[in-house]
Amino acid sequence: MKRIIVRLLPNWVLVALLLVLVFAPFYWIAISSLKTPPEVIRYPPTLVPQTFTLQNFQKLFASTDYPRYLLNSLTIALGTTLITVPMATLASYAVYRLEFPGRFLLLRLLVGTYVFPSILLLIPLFQIMAQFGLINSLWSLVVVNVTFTAPFSVWLMRAFLESVPYELEEAAALDGADFFQVLWYVIFPILRPGMATISIFTFITVWTEYPFASQLIIEHAKRPLPVGLASIIGQYQIDWGLLAAGAVFMALPVVILFAFVGRYFVEGLTAGALKS
Amino acid sequence: MHRRRAWLAFALLAPLCIWLIVTIVIPIAYLVQLSFTTTGIFGTAAEFAGLANFQRILGSERFWQSARNTLVWVIGNGLVQVTLAFTVARLLYRRTAFTRFMQIWIILPWVIPGVAAVIIWRWMLSGIGVVNYGIQSVGLVDAPISFFAQPSIAMATTIFVNSWRWFPLLTVILLAALRNIPTELREAAMVDGATENQTWWHVVMPLLRPVLYVLGLLGTLWSANVFDVIWLLTRGGPSGGTATLPIFIYEEAFTRFRLGSAAAASLFMMMFLLVFVVLFLQYGWGRDLRRRR
Repeated sequence: MKRIIVRLLPNWVLVALLLVLVFAPFYWIAISSLKTPPEVIRYPPTLVPQTFTLQNFQKLFASTDYPRYLLNSLTIALGTTLITVPMATLASYAVYRLEFPGRFLLLRLLVGTYVFPSILLLIPLFQIMAQFGLINSLWSLVVVNVTFTAPFSVWLMRAFLESVPYELEEAAALDGADFFQVLWYVIFPILRPGMATISIFTFITVWTEYPFASQLIIEHAKRPLPVGLASIIGQYQIDWGLLAAGAVFMALPVVILFAFVGRYFVEGLTAGALKS
Repeated sequence: MHRRRAWLAFALLAPLCIWLIVTIVIPIAYLVQLSFTTTGIFGTAAEFAGLANFQRILGSERFWQSARNTLVWVIGNGLVQVTLAFTVARLLYRRTAFTRFMQIWIILPWVIPGVAAVIIWRWMLSGIGVVNYGIQSVGLVDAPISFFAQPSIAMATTIFVNSWRWFPLLTVILLAALRNIPTELREAAMVDGATENQTWWHVVMPLLRPVLYVLGLLGTLWSANVFDVIWLLTRGGPSGGTATLPIFIYEEAFTRFRLGSAAAASLFMMMFLLVFVVLFLQYGWGRDLRRRR
């Protein structure tokens, strides 16, 4: 017994360190956002908050442009989702369910577009958007975000498609349904959870994207959240309570959504890396 | 059935393919064109500049500094993340309720926005931050450390923060790969008298090679592409010490307003990565195993 404890002890220590490394920063930012201003900057810091206040969040919404940024981010996310979901669902069905020449090449190319360093597209896309008058339009960000999300969404759909038995399609076809009827009445309804997963992935991408958003949008009032929050870092004398509230507010929706789709996310990622 | 009708497949794929051609292929072609012109920001007339942009970039000390920084960045991130990911994947290998929970939630640092991660770490690493408090109270240092004051320390700090974001992704992929390995193989080795470490090095590692190969390729491309964490933590400073190529390109275009030479720098970066990919595909560890599959 003693021996087992001695052998496992290093593991327990490592697990504890791991938990601290991964989760302590989240704990720290969350309690910092809920402390009163004097306590936030008190030194030595209080590891368990002594005060509780929501004033940082109130300030965030009342005296910064946060609500505006939030609206912009949601608009871009909605636009991107409306394009990515149908496009990726159709493509995914074709890639994983139909046979056609060049299928494997296409899959490879899709992986290629997913790993392609997006920063290399910043200069030319900026110029192209400028020529089409799309600089400072939320549409420009919808366009680039679709490019970032669609290839990976095709992958994400794979696991969901695999759960649809071929017999189902065949039965519908025997009953006289044509190809598009099968898609619309048989496949799409079953793929709804997959589409939801893609939507959430898209939302998270838009919610997070920084470099393109920082340059394609000029007007302050049209900025999405990441750029808006970054500008608050510079704009005010560093108010850590306020920034902590901003960070919490940005991380929270992702954390909540992740609770629903985290499993598919991780599966999609690992399947992508292991099977491609 | 309709499964074999190729034109249907092409029809379903057309929107995505056209979209990607318009937003990736055409822009890359345009990037090449831009690199030969003197283009300022916003509708300045572009004039043909020959190789001037390329010459400017090749003669720019800042460019070479950021190329070197990119190398340090990619290698540093690789080492830190691989070490962390292996340690953690080994810890989480057994299937329990705890590891099932961790396998999903560990990835949290990777899904939160870079801006949020930057705020979290800038706050924790500040002079009155909890990290400085911690290392002072256990007596590691006497005075607070300025984590962003010197180029080399700033680089190490930035690599750490970025690794914090990315190692969980590596961990879950490794974990899935580990679990794909039949336990019989490990057990057989143990029965034959191999120690746990021997089993690990001589049985498990060779079987992980194909996955490590893919991760080496993807991980390098991904970390070379990182922008927001570096930019928001340090702006590439102090004195360019943490400026990688994406930072250089961004500054060249949007603070020094030289789109033409930013385009040339992008092409150089693309070339560096391409050379890496080709070398990796040619000589990478684990290439032979993948081909056989």
